[in-house]
Amino acid sequence: MVKKKSVEGCVEEEPAEVVEESKDPQSKMPPFRNPNYQHQTLIGGKKKTWRSLKQIVAHEKSLPWPPETPLYSNIGGPPALKPPKKYSDISGLEGKYIDPQTKLFYTTSDEFSTIRSLPSDITAGYLSLRGANNPIP
Amino acid sequence: MDIVVEFKDIKPVVDTIHPYSNALKNSATPIVIDNGSYNCRVGWATSTRPLLVFKNVLAKPRKERGKKDGEMQIGNDIPNIEAVRGNLKTQFDKNVVTHMEVQEYIFNYTFSHLGIDTNRINHPIVITEAPLNPNFSRSLMSQLLFECFNVPSVAYCVDSLSSYWRFPSKNKTSLLVSIGYYTTHVIPIVDGIVDFKRSRRLDLGGQQITYYLQRLLQLKYPVHFNALNLSRAEELLHEHCSIAVDYRAELTKWADPDYYDTHVKLIQLPFTAPPVPLLTPEQQKGRRRETARKLVEVNARKREEKLAEDEEQLNQLLSIQDLLEEGEDDEYQRSLEEFGLKSADELLKTIATLQAKIERIRQKIANSMAGNPDENVEEPKPKIMKQMQIPRNEEDFNAWLESVRKKREELLERKAARKQRRIDMAKRRTLASVERMRLISQLAADNEKKEDDFGRRDQDWDVYKVINREGDSDSEAETERLMELEEALRAHDPTFMVDNSRTAQATAESHRLHFAVEAIRATEAIFQPQATLGWSQAGLTDMIEWVLKMFPEDVANLLAQDVCLTGGLANLPGLKEKITALVVEMRPFKSKISVRTVPEPSLGAWLGCRDFARNPESSKYFVTRAEYDEYGGDYLKEHSRSNVFNPLPAMVGISSDQQSILSSVDAPAEDIEVDIL
Repeated sequence: MVKKKSVEGCVEEEPAEVVEESKDPQSKMPPFRNPNYQHQTLIGGKKKTWRSLKQIVAHEKSLPWPPETPLYSNIGGPPALKPPKKYSDISGLEGKYIDPQTKLFYTTSDEFSTIRSLPSDITAGYLSLRGANNPIP
Repeated sequence: MDIVVEFKDIKPVVDTIHPYSNALKNSATPIVIDNGSYNCRVGWATSTRPLLVFKNVLAKPRKERGKKDGEMQIGNDIPNIEAVRGNLKTQFDKNVVTHMEVQEYIFNYTFSHLGIDTNRINHPIVITEAPLNPNFSRSLMSQLLFECFNVPSVAYCVDSLSSYWRFPSKNKTSLLVSIGYYTTHVIPIVDGIVDFKRSRRLDLGGQQITYYLQRLLQLKYPVHFNALNLSRAEELLHEHCSIAVDYRAELTKWADPDYYDTHVKLIQLPFTAPPVPLLTPEQQKGRRRETARKLVEVNARKREEKLAEDEEQLNQLLSIQDLLEEGEDDEYQRSLEEFGLKSADELLKTIATLQAKIERIRQKIANSMAGNPDENVEEPKPKIMKQMQIPRNEEDFNAWLESVRKKREELLERKAARKQRRIDMAKRRTLASVERMRLISQLAADNEKKEDDFGRRDQDWDVYKVINREGDSDSEAETERLMELEEALRAHDPTFMVDNSRTAQATAESHRLHFAVEAIRATEAIFQPQATLGWSQAGLTDMIEWVLKMFPEDVANLLAQDVCLTGGLANLPGLKEKITALVVEMRPFKSKISVRTVPEPSLGAWLGCRDFARNPESSKYFVTRAEYDEYGGDYLKEHSRSNVFNPLPAMVGISSDQQSILSSVDAPAEDIEVDIL
């Protein structure tokens, strides 16, 4: 098997180094761990990062799967089709109005005056929580 | 209303190392691991409950130069998770394991806490994975288990399916809804066969709900920003949140102030009362007098020292004068030079000034001795009294007091407004700074038209007054005025101090959270992710409807007859009722509908895997080391609780496929995109 060879190859190439490296943390290393095992990202000296889920999924998608294969990327939930309801940002009640200045949703006139007295970082926080913070043009 | 709930802030109990008995050592009992993205649960196939339940995270202190690497902490070893929040690492990317180094540390922790001390793991492993876990992720996991820990064999289960198969429905046709930490799945099972193709995943779970709740409270109580940490939000979610069956109706109820008052939960944040009670005005006066007296003493001592010094110098100069009188010219000249004096005249002059100085200091000392020290202390008071005439008769006095109070309020308000403006100015994109930019650009545009003769006339500089409006800084005069008013109030208004002490006592109250709509608002995110979190995916209800619509009517009917809830959040009060109501709404009139929650939903996955591991029939579903070497890391033996195995599509040959997996790891990481929550 190609794979097995490549793993063994790595170990054979630099056995001395592996032992030296692992000597230090060996005290911490539990007995059941294979002392010669090296993570893929560490093989070859330079440390590489682990692939993110996004990269893994993108790679998986690019393979020529037979049609109708259930894959991680194929079972993503459907997009929202109905328009979202509006809820007041500060109280959570049904938001009937929008403050044109801060773009926050609100329900009553009391809330409106509260909104107007809020510092800008709070209003920005509410907007970004709702994913509605578009920068000022 | 009166009940105040306190945060428990439960500290984790450090996991003990379980005994590794000889019976276990020689038996090849499988180890069952529910590798959940929130909690990891581990036990032997023979255990009734998992022996270890810990948060599946690792805290690695940041490397500091010149310091030794700090101890790595895992799960329950972390005494205060909030203290290391920034250094937490997880092997998960959403619900899929991607970071094998962290996974290795977690396994080290797990196996050593099971007491294993042999030089390899001699036990088959049953471990959970995400539904439709990518082959790549599974191959990494198999590689780690087989090559790093030398396990004899591995079996993979899907967490939600393990939980389901403990309590399947009679016809083995169910719609499984699993609410996890990062993801929520809807998985249809028809005649005992899991239909992965028609499953759907919502990338939202307990983690986002907790985050949403935390942010909501932080925005509501910006003062307690730091006290409202994720652990507390989690506690609130587990202890006080519920799901509103009819969200809109519930909101209408909350809009009524009476309902709010009777149903709001008060939650106490920890706070420490100020240790020293505030000083009474008498004590304050006494303290001030004391410091003044000390100051006077210090001054007197300094003066005396100066006096002694001057006298000493005078004596020396006088002795030089004596030399002249005695006729010792040589000595006299030398002494003059020593003191840096040029002539006899200068000597006389210095002596005269010194004498005058000494006289002055003596006078001062005599004065301060004779004078009442209190007089010195109370100097600022008469000034104020002069400025404010206090009316004698009571009515006028009250009116005057009222006006002083009002003036003070006004001053304070103006100060606060200015402070706000300064804060706004410092930030971009605020109304104040945008307005300022507009003014500046307007002015710049005006100047362009004419010749640039700015500064020739004095009124040119008025531009800055326009830009800055009336001063942004607190004027000193104003501060002084405020102090005067407060002084007057302190002296004449008996309620003024009381007012102050009230605010001091109110700290307990001010550390109290009003937990009202938030209890249902945070959990509603699963059903309306777009309205609450701005998510682009549809909510759980729409997803269930979507999945049901993919089936022919008769199968959909059967599925709706057993909607089965599992996962960590399945026990949220109201979830079952809400899903029932929503499924009834989407199904045809008079359809038979039933919704149930699996017993012990959060532990179900582990228990299901354990049952699987105990069953002797299961042994054929384990992938052995030989099979791993033969078929590759992603190889999977399908069973009822497992994923489907999608063998990698043949490109050139099997070997090259393997190569592509391996080489893809080495390939430079392309298109790294950071997901912003």
